[in-house]
Amino acid sequence: MAIDGSKIIHAVMEGSRIREAKGIIPLFGVYLSLFFVQYYNKLSFDFEKEMGREHESESAALLIEAAQECGYATFQGIRNSREWEGLVLPMIETKEDQIFSFAAVAVAFGWGDLDVRELIPDEKLVIRVSDSYEATGYLQLHGLATSGKCYMLRGVSGAFMDLLYGEDYPDGCFTFRAEEPFCRAKGDPYCELLARRTSDKRHA
Amino acid sequence: MMLINWEHELDRVGHRVILSGLPIAMHCHHYNINLEKMLEDTMGETGIRLLFEAAEEVSFYGFTSFLRHYSRIKTIKSKLEVASTIYQNCGLGVMHFQRIGNRGGIIVSPSSHHVTGWLAKHGKRETPGCHFARGWVAGVLEAVYNQPLHHFAVEELTCKMMRHDECKFLVKER
Repeated sequence: MAIDGSKIIHAVMEGSRIREAKGIIPLFGVYLSLFFVQYYNKLSFDFEKEMGREHESESAALLIEAAQECGYATFQGIRNSREWEGLVLPMIETKEDQIFSFAAVAVAFGWGDLDVRELIPDEKLVIRVSDSYEATGYLQLHGLATSGKCYMLRGVSGAFMDLLYGEDYPDGCFTFRAEEPFCRAKGDPYCELLARRTSDKRHA
Repeated sequence: MMLINWEHELDRVGHRVILSGLPIAMHCHHYNINLEKMLEDTMGETGIRLLFEAAEEVSFYGFTSFLRHYSRIKTIKSKLEVASTIYQNCGLGVMHFQRIGNRGGIIVSPSSHHVTGWLAKHGKRETPGCHFARGWVAGVLEAVYNQPLHHFAVEELTCKMMRHDECKFLVKER
């Protein structure tokens, strides 16, 4: 059975409208917040700017690492949630279906139109995004970039593979690392995240 | 009185999630807290400033746009009530604007996404940690009182991340 992303989107939209008296949205095993994408873009790109061009690779690595740790914990929580069990699990037939489900959740969260283009188990994942909010935000704030700017999506793509093919949670984070060979922020027609296994687990 | 129609305000346009006409993303406490900790660990006070300024600027423009759209919301009391409702509906927590005026005042938050998230991931802090909330308060009040960006400074006097009973913010004109 193919993963029906529209069911996941519907569940997320409905769930995000339900919050407890304390103003917290507990959904899919995590606490969700809704906020303007400009916040995340300003924060990431101001951080990068403040770090300076000479530390560009370091600031990128820190942003990707923050997202990958998040993605690893978040989607572990999601796939162990009762919402996942009730809604997504019945659609999953193979281990790899989890990746397609993770991508559907990311679309539901408003992270972009993630499209899994290639998945070689335990080896390689390619996700294409034609409307990443990070790329859009960079172009709006700073114009054309010289390198990929979808740091959150890079981290999350690596985390998807970590959860499926890394050591058991919580020891498998950073088993994979994602590059971004194409990014709209640097003038490409779409963004593409390519996750592969790393030799050095944390900072390959 | 229901001032806003949340069903209408939070919607999807294709793959985008839209709040009051502006794109939003849903992120969980893992990401929000990872970003905060990374910025603090890497840059210290500069990282804290970046968190504050990003929240201030984006909430200022977001709420200004919202008030322009809802021109029937005219009184300060109604605007503050809507701000509280949006904060809560966005899963950011509870914010009470009870002792506030155009020169500043005290705001209390008995619960928040960032407090819940920080305590779940890292436990008790030794310093106040609601930098996002401080920035959000500054930006929203600047929009409500029709003041320019950076008009208000917000200090966190007590913080639930430090296991205080509530987060208390002191707002002053700069």
